[in-house]
Amino acid sequence: MLNETNKSSAIIEMHNVGIRYGQGPEILSDVKLSLRKGSFHFLTGRSGAGKTSLLSMMYLAQKPSRGSVSVFGQNVNFANRDSLAMLRRKIGVVFQDFRLIDHLSAFDNVALPLRVCGMDEHEVRKRVMELLQWVELDRSIQSTPATLSGGEKQRVAIARAVINRPELLLADEPTGNVDNDIAPKLMKLFVELNKLGTTVVIATHSEKLITDFAYPRLHLQNHGLKVFAPTNSSLLGVRHA
Amino acid sequence: MPKQPVFIARHEELPLKNSSTSLFLQIMVGIAVFLFAVTLSGVLSINTMLENWNNSILGSLTVQIMPSTNINPDKAVAETLAHQNKALDILRNLDFVEKAEPLTDKQLEQLIQPWLGDGIEIQDLPVPRIIDVKLKTGADVDFMDLAYKLAQATPMASVDNHKLWLNKLIQFADGIKILALSILALVIMITSGAIFYTTQTSLGLHKYTIEILHLMGAKDTYVAQQYAKQSAILALQGGLIGLIIAIPTIFGIASLAHQIEGGIISEAKLSVLDWSAIIALPAFASVIAMLTAYYTVKQTLQKLM
Repeated sequence: MLNETNKSSAIIEMHNVGIRYGQGPEILSDVKLSLRKGSFHFLTGRSGAGKTSLLSMMYLAQKPSRGSVSVFGQNVNFANRDSLAMLRRKIGVVFQDFRLIDHLSAFDNVALPLRVCGMDEHEVRKRVMELLQWVELDRSIQSTPATLSGGEKQRVAIARAVINRPELLLADEPTGNVDNDIAPKLMKLFVELNKLGTTVVIATHSEKLITDFAYPRLHLQNHGLKVFAPTNSSLLGVRHA
Repeated sequence: MPKQPVFIARHEELPLKNSSTSLFLQIMVGIAVFLFAVTLSGVLSINTMLENWNNSILGSLTVQIMPSTNINPDKAVAETLAHQNKALDILRNLDFVEKAEPLTDKQLEQLIQPWLGDGIEIQDLPVPRIIDVKLKTGADVDFMDLAYKLAQATPMASVDNHKLWLNKLIQFADGIKILALSILALVIMITSGAIFYTTQTSLGLHKYTIEILHLMGAKDTYVAQQYAKQSAILALQGGLIGLIIAIPTIFGIASLAHQIEGGIISEAKLSVLDWSAIIALPAFASVIAMLTAYYTVKQTLQKLM
């Protein structure tokens, strides 16, 4: 079992979690995981290993087929819809396919998490403008996703994920489409957020990212999960599927 | 640093106003409000008509004196008038009678003119004489006792307090009202059903956006409120168009009704209050659309994770 710390400060806990789609085989089997508050992990694994499925459980888009998942101490198996919504407000997600709303401007896309919380519009404008300037998109605030490049869309997606200062930040290949000079800046943003207490999980294929930033690695393999130490890839724990 | 725009327009996350279903919703509500307004005006007119009839006959009765069967026309007229005078004597001495006046020959001629035409000499015809009786306000009349007293004075007299024919008219009018109310209920059900399916279709069309909103932490209420707000606006717009078409239609129907016969149907008029109810229909439709959309969204989203 992967137990980063004691239960009281765990942000995410999974016990014997399995995921299957329809009548198909399990994508993930008997996953056990406990991520402590303020931790930073990379999530790795070959394509189809179940990274997206594992992340989607973490951002509460999916319930496990079996086992239990607790996020912020709340068992999501039994949480009602409003409770799940309140939990999601503490989570920022950067999707691999960005998932921006096409008819909304960059500004409105970034403002979404604040507006669904009912934040005052004046405060929304202030925060969104600040962040868009920081990700160097202040010239494109009125642009819709269709007119933005892949890198710009990714920066909008990242800005949207961090705008409400989430307690948990999940990112699926967040630097995959951005220029080489922007990628370190975005990673620095994640690191800074982590230093402020945000728990971060980044799914990536980039070995460079993993080696440049010395954080432990959650590795999906044979439907199970292993964790590796930051620097020398030493095995910290193994789940025997 | 680039100049910050002074105004950034906020766009709705769910672009329901410009979706393909919004025009359908507006047309449906427009038709519903049109039918609703025309039918409601009919129901309210019938109500007014019944009220007018009731007020006009309340506190009055008619005494009819059957014509004498004497074969001598002059004697027959004289006998009939004698019976009428006896009845008048009785009536004018009663406490609850304010006024009792026989209809003049001219008034009687006018009454039978539609059936027998012009140039009638009422004295030559064996027609009943009629006494119009006005009762004192709030008078408690024992009609059986009155009929008995009149029969004692003259066997040719009979009392008609109009209740029989009015009851039949009320029954007829009630039937029409039930029919009209059934149409109104049907219109409300059809409108609600249309909004229900329009909303469900729209939820399917905007599934991707709604999923993103949920992932950002939006509660079902947030999505439902957007649907409710925009459905209310669309329904109000459609309803106003329906009302604008309905008003001249109501006037047209009223005009036709007056042309048919000025006697009974002319009593069917709409009061200021009635017009207020009709003008409020788009707002009513808007509220129905808002509530239907809101609860449809809540119910449909419950099925998702």
